[in-house]
Amino acid sequence: MIDTKHVNRLRAITGKENVLTSKEEMVAYSYDGTQMWSHQPDVVIFPTNATEISETLKYANENGIPVTPRGGGTNVSGGSIPIRGGIVLCTTKMNRIIEINKTNLNATVEPGVILQDFQDALAKQGLFFPPDPQSYSGCTMGGVVAENSGGPSCLKYGVTKQYVLGLEVALADGKIVKLGGLTPKNRTGYELMMLFTGSEGTLGIITKITLRLLPVPKANQTVLAIFRDPAVAGETVTSIIASSILPSKVEFMDKWTFNKFRGIIPDAILDTSEVILLIQVDGLPQTVAAEVQQVVTITKKTAREVRVAADAKEAEKYWQARRAHFSDIHSQAHDIINEDVSVPRDKIADFIRLSQEAAKRYDVPISFAGHVGDGNFHPAVLTDSRNKEHYQRALKCVDEVIEIALKLGGVISGEHGIGLEKARFLKKAMDPTAIEIMKKIKDLLDPKHTLNPGKIWEEG
Amino acid sequence: MKTDTKYTEIEKFKDALDSCTKCGFCMAGCPVYREEKKESSVARGKIMLIRALLDGEVEVTDEMAEQLNRCTLCMTCAQNCPAGTQVPTVITAARADKVKRRGVPFPYNIVFRWLLPRRRLFGWTIRLASWFQRIFLPKTEGTLRHLSFFLSALGKSRHIPQIAPKFLRESVPEVNKPPEGVKVKFTVGYFTGCMTDFVFPELGQKIISFLTKNGVEVIIPRGQGCCGALVFLGAGDFATGRKMADTNVKAFKDLDYIITDCATCASSMKDYVKFLADTEARKKAYTAYAGKIKDITEFLVDVVKLPASAYHVAPEFKGKTVTWHEPCHLGRYLGVKEQPRKILKSLKDIKFVEMPDADRCCGMAGTFSIYFYDLSQKIAEKKAESISSTGADIVVTDCPGCQIQLMDTLKRLKMPQEVRHIMELVE
Repeated sequence: MIDTKHVNRLRAITGKENVLTSKEEMVAYSYDGTQMWSHQPDVVIFPTNATEISETLKYANENGIPVTPRGGGTNVSGGSIPIRGGIVLCTTKMNRIIEINKTNLNATVEPGVILQDFQDALAKQGLFFPPDPQSYSGCTMGGVVAENSGGPSCLKYGVTKQYVLGLEVALADGKIVKLGGLTPKNRTGYELMMLFTGSEGTLGIITKITLRLLPVPKANQTVLAIFRDPAVAGETVTSIIASSILPSKVEFMDKWTFNKFRGIIPDAILDTSEVILLIQVDGLPQTVAAEVQQVVTITKKTAREVRVAADAKEAEKYWQARRAHFSDIHSQAHDIINEDVSVPRDKIADFIRLSQEAAKRYDVPISFAGHVGDGNFHPAVLTDSRNKEHYQRALKCVDEVIEIALKLGGVISGEHGIGLEKARFLKKAMDPTAIEIMKKIKDLLDPKHTLNPGKIWEEG
Repeated sequence: MKTDTKYTEIEKFKDALDSCTKCGFCMAGCPVYREEKKESSVARGKIMLIRALLDGEVEVTDEMAEQLNRCTLCMTCAQNCPAGTQVPTVITAARADKVKRRGVPFPYNIVFRWLLPRRRLFGWTIRLASWFQRIFLPKTEGTLRHLSFFLSALGKSRHIPQIAPKFLRESVPEVNKPPEGVKVKFTVGYFTGCMTDFVFPELGQKIISFLTKNGVEVIIPRGQGCCGALVFLGAGDFATGRKMADTNVKAFKDLDYIITDCATCASSMKDYVKFLADTEARKKAYTAYAGKIKDITEFLVDVVKLPASAYHVAPEFKGKTVTWHEPCHLGRYLGVKEQPRKILKSLKDIKFVEMPDADRCCGMAGTFSIYFYDLSQKIAEKKAESISSTGADIVVTDCPGCQIQLMDTLKRLKMPQEVRHIMELVE
């Protein structure tokens, strides 16, 4: 339990109305989008400017109080769970879009802006920010940068780090530092803002963000293809990309999501298939038309059925089904262990086959969905933590799936980050010297380890 | 983890409670979260709090009660939820379990338990209130007055419409036949709702006149009461809600159609079966009752199938620009989205402009706006911005509750737009 004098100090810093301490509110800040972890904070604060964040960090640092930064709390690696209690510093009230500059193709925002609101504001000016994590309607920009978020569009457009031009960060001791700038080219010293991009809130708290933007593509079209064999689907993706087309998204869904396609694809085909691919092509209308034609020709060689969405409404129906994948599988199991491995594109078919074999050996259901275009998969093992024996088997299966990905030259996390969820795999996945360097950076910037403690590596 | 079965209403919807995956898709659309920016305001947070209740980790404290009340039940979360989690259902059930333990606080208990279920007594009280309204309260513009004596217990200095000098039921007969020469094609029961009866009787008269002209015989059963939305959905008092439901079922038992001019009344009455059916007999009766209910626009477009040429704009609205506010209960609850727009598009002498986010909650939500007036107004201000952006002269809707909220907000913001019920435009 946190000392009352600390709470009073926090109230003095951020104002009484921006500090929560009741049991009920703590319950509501004990979780994020992750399934298996929860821990209550002692106090939640909502700073409204960088100075308040700086003062809070300085005070927490002096008094050794853990601070867990949080935005929308939608991440799926446990990054915003206050696993050591203390303060949850929630940025949702810092939600101003400071500037959208169409000439310079950049925007400056506060960390608490919801990604969807940002996209809506950009769309009004014909602009867009490509990363599109599935949590876009709740996640906030600070988290998008701190987690270096991805999403389906990253196949063509890259992940968040490709768009970060400048950051303002409050450090663990309260100092505020400005990094990067407003220009897309900037070769001034080390790329320090990249250190904080993807830092998962362990090195500092982002207080302002400048992002590069793109003009919205003039047209886009979605193609749906259904396959009997996942490996064939994987090879088809490789063929599309080898034909010099770079779709904006190529998404993979397995049987668990098929119910959403009843009425769109005949039951006879759905019932005897294993995989649906959604392929979106964007660009100039004439290019899109030509590329869609090419995608259709290629997929028709291997797929059982190919559909081109007639209009935006039909396309949105397909994409909604994709977004619902996680809840679809969740509705069929008490617990889900959801992974985020990424493998080189030419290893997709091997990865699926080997993972399915592993699941069979451990006798646990496994579902695959993901951004197959860039090799980033979300294999999910369905289990029930109340059944210890089943749960153990599920965990072992997940371990093996991760081993498979690593052996194929992949990584343990494509876009979710390490957080709590994947800390136990870090040593397997990273060069020990690299871990050493990371720890030295952490010690340099946060020597008392008050910032988001317990995340990324297994401590103690 | 201990499972506590003392929350029997919540237990009934355990599947809905369990289906939430905490993904956070509910956040951007939630009108309350958008204002407060904290987790306990949004569906995911409320679900987790209710789970904590069942686990025995938290109790029904004052704060918990407040968290449960702080939701407009607008259904946007459920619409955006990839798992289809019916959060408003779970929250309503939790409110009921809360009431079972703590009762309904004064003065709401008087209003909900004693006045609303007793139509005549409620009418007299309203009438009495209206006298006080005239004596004590300064008349604001038009017929808007500040909140009256008895209602002042329920809100702040809200601009509400004047209580009508003559209630609808006092000014129209029980049976309203089509004029001579017009064949009766349908006979309907008109559920007038409290607002149309006591505050907007002219709206009721217009509806009766329009229906009868178009071959619909309109019965206004005298035995009908309040729909009970405030009581069982808002306050969670299921026992009183059940009495009100039974009264209405009885009043309309011989009719095949029940039409309403209030989306909230319609959808709440359709929900009797979900929340209040404690016996097989009630389940059967409430299911049959629900099947008869049609919103007025839905009835005209889907059942009577009136051609576009049957709708004429009333002379006073000719040449006006009109925008449409879609009540939550109409669009998301009843799924009635196209019908009112079809009617508006049929009206040749007005310009219909769609407002941005027409389906976003206005923040009224009955008891919600009474408990949390300031928050309710902040939500309404977003709606006011949408209205303003259309350049419309008139905003129409299909729910007297929304109407009152919008009237209050627009007056407060000194905006010139008029607020009307869609059926006021039509003749």
